[in-house]
Amino acid sequence: MNSALQLAGIRKSFDGALALDGASFESRSGEVHALLGENGAGKSSLMNVAAGLYAPDAGSISINGAPISLSGPASARSHGIGMVHQHFKLVRPFTVAENVLLANPQPHFASGLRDIRDAIKKQVDALKFSIDPDRRIDSMTVAEQQQAEIVKVLVGGARILILDEPTAVLTDAEAIGLLEIVQRLARSGTAVVLVTHKLQDVKRYADVVTIMRGGKTVATLDPRQSTAEELTELTVGQTSALPERTPHQGGPTRLNVGALTYTRADGRTMLNNTSFFVRAGEIYGIAGVSGNGQAELAEALIGAIEPSTGEIWVDGAGDISHAGPTKRREAAIAAIPADRYAYALAGSLPIQDNLAVAQIRSGRYGSIVRLDRTAMRRDAIAAVKDYDVQGVRSVKQKASLLSGGNAQKLVIAREFSREPDVVVAHSPSRGLDARACAAVHQRLIAARERGAAIVLISEDLDEILSLSDRIGVMTRGAIVAEFERPADRQAIGRAMVDHA
Amino acid sequence: MTPVTSRGFGRLTLDVRQNLPAWKQAVFVGSSLILGLAISVAILAVAGIPPLTLASELAGVLTAENLRGVLIQAAPLILVGLGASLAFRIGFWNLGIEGQMVFGGIFAAAISIYDIGPPATRLILMGMAAALGGALWVLLVVFLKLRFRVNEIIATLLLNYVAMYFLFHLLYGAWQDSKTAFPQSTPFRPFERLTDIGYGVNTGLLIALGGVLAAGWMIHLSRIGFYTRFISANPRMAKVVGVPVQTATIWIIAISGACSGLGGFVNVASQEGRLTQSFANGYVFSGVLIAFLSRNDPIVVAIVGFLIAVLFITGQTLQVFYQIPFTMVQMIEAIIVMTVASSEFLIRHRIRWIR
Repeated sequence: MNSALQLAGIRKSFDGALALDGASFESRSGEVHALLGENGAGKSSLMNVAAGLYAPDAGSISINGAPISLSGPASARSHGIGMVHQHFKLVRPFTVAENVLLANPQPHFASGLRDIRDAIKKQVDALKFSIDPDRRIDSMTVAEQQQAEIVKVLVGGARILILDEPTAVLTDAEAIGLLEIVQRLARSGTAVVLVTHKLQDVKRYADVVTIMRGGKTVATLDPRQSTAEELTELTVGQTSALPERTPHQGGPTRLNVGALTYTRADGRTMLNNTSFFVRAGEIYGIAGVSGNGQAELAEALIGAIEPSTGEIWVDGAGDISHAGPTKRREAAIAAIPADRYAYALAGSLPIQDNLAVAQIRSGRYGSIVRLDRTAMRRDAIAAVKDYDVQGVRSVKQKASLLSGGNAQKLVIAREFSREPDVVVAHSPSRGLDARACAAVHQRLIAARERGAAIVLISEDLDEILSLSDRIGVMTRGAIVAEFERPADRQAIGRAMVDHA
Repeated sequence: MTPVTSRGFGRLTLDVRQNLPAWKQAVFVGSSLILGLAISVAILAVAGIPPLTLASELAGVLTAENLRGVLIQAAPLILVGLGASLAFRIGFWNLGIEGQMVFGGIFAAAISIYDIGPPATRLILMGMAAALGGALWVLLVVFLKLRFRVNEIIATLLLNYVAMYFLFHLLYGAWQDSKTAFPQSTPFRPFERLTDIGYGVNTGLLIALGGVLAAGWMIHLSRIGFYTRFISANPRMAKVVGVPVQTATIWIIAISGACSGLGGFVNVASQEGRLTQSFANGYVFSGVLIAFLSRNDPIVVAIVGFLIAVLFITGQTLQVFYQIPFTMVQMIEAIIVMTVASSEFLIRHRIRWIR
C-alpha cells in the first residue's frame, strides 16, 4: 500500500504558544489510521494543517508522494482531503442536498441540485446510511448530521477522510455503527484518519495508531500488537518530578459539592451526581477528557448556570447553587473561567472598569449615586503593576486589546483583589506562554498558602499533577476516582480512559 | 473578514475595523444625515415643493410663533427619545413607546377625571401617575421576557395596538365628553394643564430637560449606569462577576417606560389639553430615530429631539399650505434612520475593492 497523506516536521504556534513541534504523520490508502493523544496534544491542530485550515510555520505536506502546498480548505479539497470536524460545519435550516451543494458548487443551480441529490443517494446506499437528501439539518439527530457531513466530504471526491473525534457526540451503539462503516470505507480504498482519545476505539478499529504528546508525534505502531497499558503510557508520558512545597495542613472543609446534576437544553445530562469537597489551603484538581462535564461544573460553581439538583455549599454562605449575586458575593468565590471573553471580561469596556466591577457594590468605588473614577483609576494602575499586565498604555483602553496571557492576568488581579475563600479555575493557563503560565500557577499556590480552597479544572494533566493536593477524575459528569498527592500519572490516565 | 467573491471583477472584501477616531465617525454620520436629507428633499420636490420654498419654510420655523411650537413639540419627543435610548442601552428593544405614552396619558387623565388630590399638587400627581402607567405597561413585557422568553420586539410593538384600542374603548365609552360627543375626554381644568412660563418655554419642556439631566447623571455618573455598560457589553460575564443583572435590567426598562409615559402626559397636558384618540401616533418611530441619532446618550437626545421637533413643525406647515400628508414626515424619519444605519456599517467595516 502506498502513502496517501504525508506530513513531515510540521510546526505551528499561536500567540507564542507552540501547538505543533515538528509533528510527522503518514497515512496509507485502505487503512484506518488512528491519531491518539490527550486534549491539547495537537491532534486537531495537525489535522487542521492537513485540511488547509492552518498554514504551518514549517514542515511539508505530500499527497501520494508528491509535495504540495495548501492555500486553504478549498485547495485541500481539490487534493482529495476531506475533514469532518468535531463541531459540524452545516447550515442548519438547509437540507442535506443544499449543504452538499454549498460545499461542492455546480455551474447551474437546478441541474446541480439534481446531480448532487443523485450523488448523495449513491453514497448513502454504498455506506448503508439512513439519511434523506431532502431533510433539513435542524430536523436531524446528531448522528444523522454526522452522516450528512461524511457524505458531503465524500461527494466532493475525498480520497483521504479525516474524522475529528467522531464518536464524542454519539451513543455507544451509534459509535459502533459509525466505526464499522468507516472501516468498510477504508477497505474500499479510502485513507481514513481517526482523531480520538478513546483507547477501545483504537484497539478495535484502527490498523495503525500514531500517538501525539505535547505537539510531537511520539510513536507509530500497530494497536493490535500493543497493550492498553503501553498505549496509555505513551499518551500521558512519564511522571516528571513534582515541585517542592509545604505539605497540606488539613484545614476545615470550605467547599462541598453534593450530588450535582445538570441537564443541558438539548437533553444531554452533563453533570450526573458530581460530588467532592475541598478543604481550606488545598488545591483540588479535576482531571478528565474534555466534554465530560468539566465545563458545566465550572459554570455551575461560578454561577453562570443553575444546576438541576444538588448543592454547592460554601463555608459561611451556605448553599449557593441557586443564589443571587448578593449571596454569591458573601461566599467570596473567585472565578477564573476557561473562556475569558465569555465569562470574565467585557472586551469593549476599559481595563479600569473591568477591574472595578467586582467590588463596585462594596462602596469602594463610590456610592450608588456617584462613581469614584479616581479610585478606580488608582487601583487599576496599581493592579496592572502588581500583576505585571503587559501591553497597557492606559487603564482606559479596551480590555480586548490585551493578549491572552495579559487578559488572564487582568482577570486574576480582579478576582484575587477580594482575598477569596474559594477559587474556581478552569484551564487557567490555556493559550498562555510559559512565563505567563508560571505566573498564573504562582498566584494559585499563593492563594493556597493563604488558606483558600481551590478547585482547579484542567485538561492538562501536567498542570493538575504539579499543583494539586488531591485529584478527582471526572468522567460522564461524575467524579469516578480520587488520588492523593503524589499521584501516579499512569493510574490517573487509566481512570480517565477506562470509564470513557 | 469574509471575502465576498464575484468572478471577473476582482474581489470586494470587508474588514472589521478596530477603532475609528471620533471625528471620522462624526464625518460618516454627518454625511449620511446629509444624504438622507438630500433624498428627502428630492422626494418633496417630486411631490410639488421646490427646494427653495422648502428652505424658506424651514427658515420660517425660526419666527417667534413657530419657535414656541417647536419648543412645545420638543418636550414629548425628548422624553420618548430618552425612553428609547435607555432601553436600547441594555439591548431591550422597546418598540412599545406609543403604548406606554397611551397609558401615561390614561393614568394622568384618570387623576383629572376622578378629581384626585388638591389642585396645587394636581399636576405633580398627574405626572407621577403617567410615569407609573408607562412603567407598568412595559413591565408586563419584561415579565413575559424574563419568565417565558417572549421576544420583546414583537410583544412591545403589538401591545401598542392593545393600548390604542383600550384608549378607544375609554374615549367612545365611559370617558367620552358628553358635551361634544367626540371621542375625546372632557377638557382638563386650567390647573391641570402645563403652561408657558415665558419666552415660549413650556413647563413640559422643563420636565423633559429635567429628565435629560437625570438620565445623563444616571448613565454617566451613577452605579446603575456602570452596571448598564456591563449588561450591554457582556451579560453572562456581568452575572458571574456579581452585577445584579436582573434587578438593574428591570429598573432601567421601568424608567424607560416611565419616560414614555411622561411623554404622553406632556403631550395631553400641554398641546391637547384632554385625552384624544391620536396623541401618541407616530412617536415610536421618532423615539427610535432620536435614540439612534444620539447613540443612546441622554444629553445628545435633547439636541436631536429639538431638531426632530423642527422637522415636525415644518411638516405641519407643509401639510397646511401644500396639502402634503403628515406621513411624509414619518417617511423622512425613516429615510434618515436607514442612511444613518448604513453609516454605522461603514464605521464598523472597511470595504475594499481588490482587482
